[in-house]
Amino acid sequence: MATHLEMELSQLTSKVYRMADMSMEFIHNSVESLKNSDTKLAARVVESDSEMDRLEVEIDDDCIKILVTKQPAAIHLRMVLAFLKINTDLERIADLCTSIAKETLRLDGKPALKPLIDIPRMADIAISMLKKCFRAFSEKNSALAKEVLAMDKQIDELNIQIYRELFSYITESPHIISGALGLIMVSKAMERIGDHAKNIAERVVYYIDGINISHE
Amino acid sequence: MKIKIKVNDLTFYYGANPAIKNISMEICENSVLALIGPSGCGKSTFIKCINRMNDIIQDIKVEGDIEIEGESIFQNGYDVTDLRRRVGMVFQKSNPFPKSIYENVAFGLRIKGISSRYDIDSRVETALKRTALWDEVKDRLGSSALGLSGGQQQRLCIARAIAIEPEVILMDEPASALDPISTQKIEELIHDLKSRYTIIIVTHNMQQAARVSDETAFFYMGELIEKNMTEKIFTNPDREMTENYIIGKFG
Repeated sequence: MATHLEMELSQLTSKVYRMADMSMEFIHNSVESLKNSDTKLAARVVESDSEMDRLEVEIDDDCIKILVTKQPAAIHLRMVLAFLKINTDLERIADLCTSIAKETLRLDGKPALKPLIDIPRMADIAISMLKKCFRAFSEKNSALAKEVLAMDKQIDELNIQIYRELFSYITESPHIISGALGLIMVSKAMERIGDHAKNIAERVVYYIDGINISHE
Repeated sequence: MKIKIKVNDLTFYYGANPAIKNISMEICENSVLALIGPSGCGKSTFIKCINRMNDIIQDIKVEGDIEIEGESIFQNGYDVTDLRRRVGMVFQKSNPFPKSIYENVAFGLRIKGISSRYDIDSRVETALKRTALWDEVKDRLGSSALGLSGGQQQRLCIARAIAIEPEVILMDEPASALDPISTQKIEELIHDLKSRYTIIIVTHNMQQAARVSDETAFFYMGELIEKNMTEKIFTNPDREMTENYIIGKFG
């Protein structure tokens, strides 16, 4: 029979999974809005950010309550500590997606500087990273979580590639500087999303193995 | 850190039944070791082996050895009275003598052969100060110790134990009968005393073990399952059985 603590942890886990699902949706929708100049979709992303903020506060409160009232130890303690940090990473991902959606709104229906190819690829990789993180979490499979770390490098490389490409555009045609800077911002946001997904993978490894692999 | 106590393959029998089995561990000087485990797992039996308090029980047998500073406490001719001076003990229920506060602390000093009034006065004061009791009792040292609160009585017993300057203090659930404020005072005291003594504490309160100790040892059915740094035990123990115990799956 599950203890009260286990029941509370199970409810907390459901909330974190819900937030993770929403983050993946944020990534997908924000990039889709930019790719298709879809201002309605972008506006929906911006509006939904407050829901993510609300969930973040709720999960933080739940974690604090469990720490204070149940004083968890060992794997239970690691779960709560991991969630406290994962929660922040997921909320930051949503914030970065909101910035991407705002770029779509700024363009106001006009297409981006160039057809988007690499940025949607970055988004796909980031979503795969998050899926892998949460599968690793539920299966308690730290090897799977560690695979995410290498995936972040792919996003970093795409970001550098996009930066170089846009830099050469700017050099050739300085009048496109505003559009190019917008895409550089989007690419940088995607790169940061990759970093947050990597952080989540590290928290998952901590939860499973009790080892802090940050900065290794 | 210097090893103060070395336990080598210790097995202790009550009659034919081993209460603790093949325990080996090293305990560092000036550290706090917490012993945790379900009732009947051998924690109290183990600490009572360290000052041979179990000797008074009939039909017991000890195998293996305990060394304090490299010297076996079970060797022939070993001075058990001196051992108990070197290894003091505080019990779950405070047990002050039905004497004055002053006499409770001075008693052991007199037994030890100290007769100078000045010497005794100064040692009583030091012991009461180290247990943070001095300010509370300095104006009524002649009053009966039985008039003190439970928490004060327990700190008096600790003062009595440390007055004779032991090297090791064994504590068997010293705060289990106390309110949170008195418990906090005992825990603060354990922190303060660590710099002068080696402390071994038995506790059923996991959070207390986590708060006061440097290392924690988990006993189960007479066996030492795991001894590790306290932080490690409570965040990521090596043994699954330890984890199951501290997260409340059994015990």
